[in-house]
Amino acid sequence: MSSEQDHLKDTDTEARFEFKKEQNAAVKSDKGLTEEIIRMISEDKDEPDWMLERRLRALKQYQNMPMPTDWPGQPDLTQLDVEEIVPYIRPDVDQREGVDDWTDLPDEIKDTFDKLGIPEAEKNALSGVGAQYESEVVYQNMQEQWEEKGVIFCNMDKAVQEHPELVKEHFMTTCVPPSDNKFAALHGAVWSGGSFVYVPEDVTVEMPVQAYFRMNSEGMGQFEHTLIIAEEGSEVHYIEGCSAPKYGTHNLHSGGVEVFVGEDAHVQYSTVQNWSKNTFNLNTKRAICEENGTMEWVSGSMGSKATMLYPCTILKGRGATDTHITIAFAGEGQDIDTGAKVYHNAPDTSSTIESKSISKDGGRTNYRGLVHIADGAENSSTAVECDALMFDNESTSDTMPYMEIEESKVDVAHEATVGKIGDEDIFYLQSRGLDDDDAKKMIVAGFIEPITEELPIEYAVELNRLIELEMEGSLG
Amino acid sequence: MSTQVHANLTEEQVRQISGELDEPEWLTETRLEALDALADLEMPDVIRTPGRDWTNLHELDFESFVDPLNAAEDKDQVGPADAEVLSWAEAVAEHEDLLKEHFGSVVDLQENYLTALSTALFSTGTVVYVPEGVDAEDVTIRTEQNSQSLFNYTLVVTEESSSVTILERQSTGQKQDEQYYSGVVEVVAGENSSVQYGSLQNLSEEAYNFTVKRGDAGTYATIDWIEANIGTQLTKTEVSTELNGESSETQIVGAFYGHNDQHFDLDAKVWHRAEHTTADLVTRGVTDDIARSVYEGVQDVGSEAWDTSSYQRENTLMLSDESEADASPKLIINNHDTEASHSATVGQIDQEDLLYMTSRGVNPRAARNMLVEGFFVPVFEEIAVDELREDLEELIATRLRTRD
Repeated sequence: MSSEQDHLKDTDTEARFEFKKEQNAAVKSDKGLTEEIIRMISEDKDEPDWMLERRLRALKQYQNMPMPTDWPGQPDLTQLDVEEIVPYIRPDVDQREGVDDWTDLPDEIKDTFDKLGIPEAEKNALSGVGAQYESEVVYQNMQEQWEEKGVIFCNMDKAVQEHPELVKEHFMTTCVPPSDNKFAALHGAVWSGGSFVYVPEDVTVEMPVQAYFRMNSEGMGQFEHTLIIAEEGSEVHYIEGCSAPKYGTHNLHSGGVEVFVGEDAHVQYSTVQNWSKNTFNLNTKRAICEENGTMEWVSGSMGSKATMLYPCTILKGRGATDTHITIAFAGEGQDIDTGAKVYHNAPDTSSTIESKSISKDGGRTNYRGLVHIADGAENSSTAVECDALMFDNESTSDTMPYMEIEESKVDVAHEATVGKIGDEDIFYLQSRGLDDDDAKKMIVAGFIEPITEELPIEYAVELNRLIELEMEGSLG
Repeated sequence: MSTQVHANLTEEQVRQISGELDEPEWLTETRLEALDALADLEMPDVIRTPGRDWTNLHELDFESFVDPLNAAEDKDQVGPADAEVLSWAEAVAEHEDLLKEHFGSVVDLQENYLTALSTALFSTGTVVYVPEGVDAEDVTIRTEQNSQSLFNYTLVVTEESSSVTILERQSTGQKQDEQYYSGVVEVVAGENSSVQYGSLQNLSEEAYNFTVKRGDAGTYATIDWIEANIGTQLTKTEVSTELNGESSETQIVGAFYGHNDQHFDLDAKVWHRAEHTTADLVTRGVTDDIARSVYEGVQDVGSEAWDTSSYQRENTLMLSDESEADASPKLIINNHDTEASHSATVGQIDQEDLLYMTSRGVNPRAARNMLVEGFFVPVFEEIAVDELREDLEELIATRLRTRD
């Protein structure tokens, strides 16, 4: 590890996430979900009519859809009362579409992101950064060289104003329509903030762009929308990080992510999710992949009280490829229900899903995945591998894959294992002088290495730190 | 959900069935309670994913299948002298206490609509009782259905340190356009006893079939199931074991071959509830023409099931492009002192294997048939009952020979 990363290693990670700021909101909606609130949000954003109409239509769909309660073994959502959630808080920042200099931000917000290490990371390893505080993006910047090549990286609200044609065509239409599920509909009604990324034909954005989402207020909901359009032959790596301090009441995060992967394009979407353990994290993420396009999802789920998230790729064009790499870590009181969905709708498509999960102290992880190979998707192949590590008999580790194969010229394989940390492995490390805790940490780090090696080193270090933190003191 | 079937069914019919079997009052009551419960019960669980039900039981018109008073069958129930192999009526007359203790003790008779329907209406059955220390081989149960509907019940009880091998076959005698066969099988394996229960379902391809077979394995007990499905238009089955005793073991071996428009929905489930238990689930099947297979395998490890070993494999071979294979192997693990794995694959005949054989002069059709038969070998090897293995091999070979 280079010395540049030492600041990450040396900071106390827990303190970095667990701090609260005073709430200084310019606009804060009432709790709950009414047409009035939706109109208020839309008006506060000065949105065009078509967006307001989409929001209201989504609200109707939300109201008509039942809560999902009949999934086998799904997380308990009974404590989630959407009517008690504050859907919209605009922090008190002068410039509406976000500043491009950290020093222009109010002190408490700047301090927040300093503590999270975002400006530092921007200098070292990123092409662009967006930072969202409560419901609005407060900072947005991208290196000039990418702007010159026509790359757009701006906040989603700004995109509605400045790129209406692109947004109109792609925003919650073919990829994630509000009718997809109850929380997608909710998202469609109250969404705010998020990123818009547009990469023109044949442009490769060499360093990742990052968005960081921070919830500060108690009982709020964050509903950012991310729309990525990668044109033919382009390439981009988008990273999102999320965190919030812990409160007694419940927060809700219900993001929406839509990715359009053009012909021969390559998009990687990486998430390190560290919501506080009072947050319900119910997201819808989906990519549509054209001919020979490649979509890669890399997800680390550490935080939240309950997560239900199944990033989905629709392999629409011949030869399209999907990769899912996910890691879930559930500690006390956490229910991380996550996985992957892949639809093979064209010939010669392939998908690889690699899932690792760790459960301890009564936490539950579940891999829930669906692979669908449509009739006619000849010569498609899919390989799914799930490995789970358990620490005690209070915890639960479930694996629920679903395979729907309508085409015979295919190669379909699913494998899963569950077990505890090997006593022999621990003994081996102990005999080389490591104590029990360090031995276990090292084994866990090795277990998740396939994930961490996919991330830029800052994030790999971060992920390892988070996991070490989760394990500290609680291992016997 | 409310299927209208009970409109057709009356308390009098149930009383008549019970009366003809000379059942005591408590059994009649159990049946009537099941009949009453029908209105509130759901169809058996089927897997649902966005936009599709893997098996649609709601479309079935049970009213037209069920003809409770005209059940007809041809049955053999044979076993060695030192074990008791009784018809239901004989068991009612001779072993009421045994039935009182075990009837409905493994399968919840009102678990779903179809188990309750079966409980209310079964008119035939077999009870196998193996006393302590007895090794009973070659128990054979053969059921030939000759009526529109037939409801069958089987109970197997093995006392301490006994063993039994049971081979059950279902077939259709007089064929009708639509027939319904329903079976409930309960196995109670006492301490250190061993049950091997092989089943070969070869009903007519117009028939519908609902079967649940479940075992309760006591301390050191072993329950091995062999579940072969060849016939019917639609089959929904569950084969499962509750490993309730320490160091108990189970094996579930499945084989199926669906062609034409057959639909098989096969569940294999095991619940590890005690220490040192072991489970091994192995299923292989073929889908051809527009047949569809649905497989759900569940390995459920409870929080008290220390030192568990649990394995599951499922492989489907697709012989036609229009067939469909769905699979969902599930792990539910609540104790970390577990070694558990599962795997599932779907594929077609390996073209290289085919080329290898044709290049050695085997004609393509024969080569294909050999490869399909070879595909089943890992399952055949697990079948300890020779007779069942040979019958199954023959049925598969016959079905292959009738293919182009």
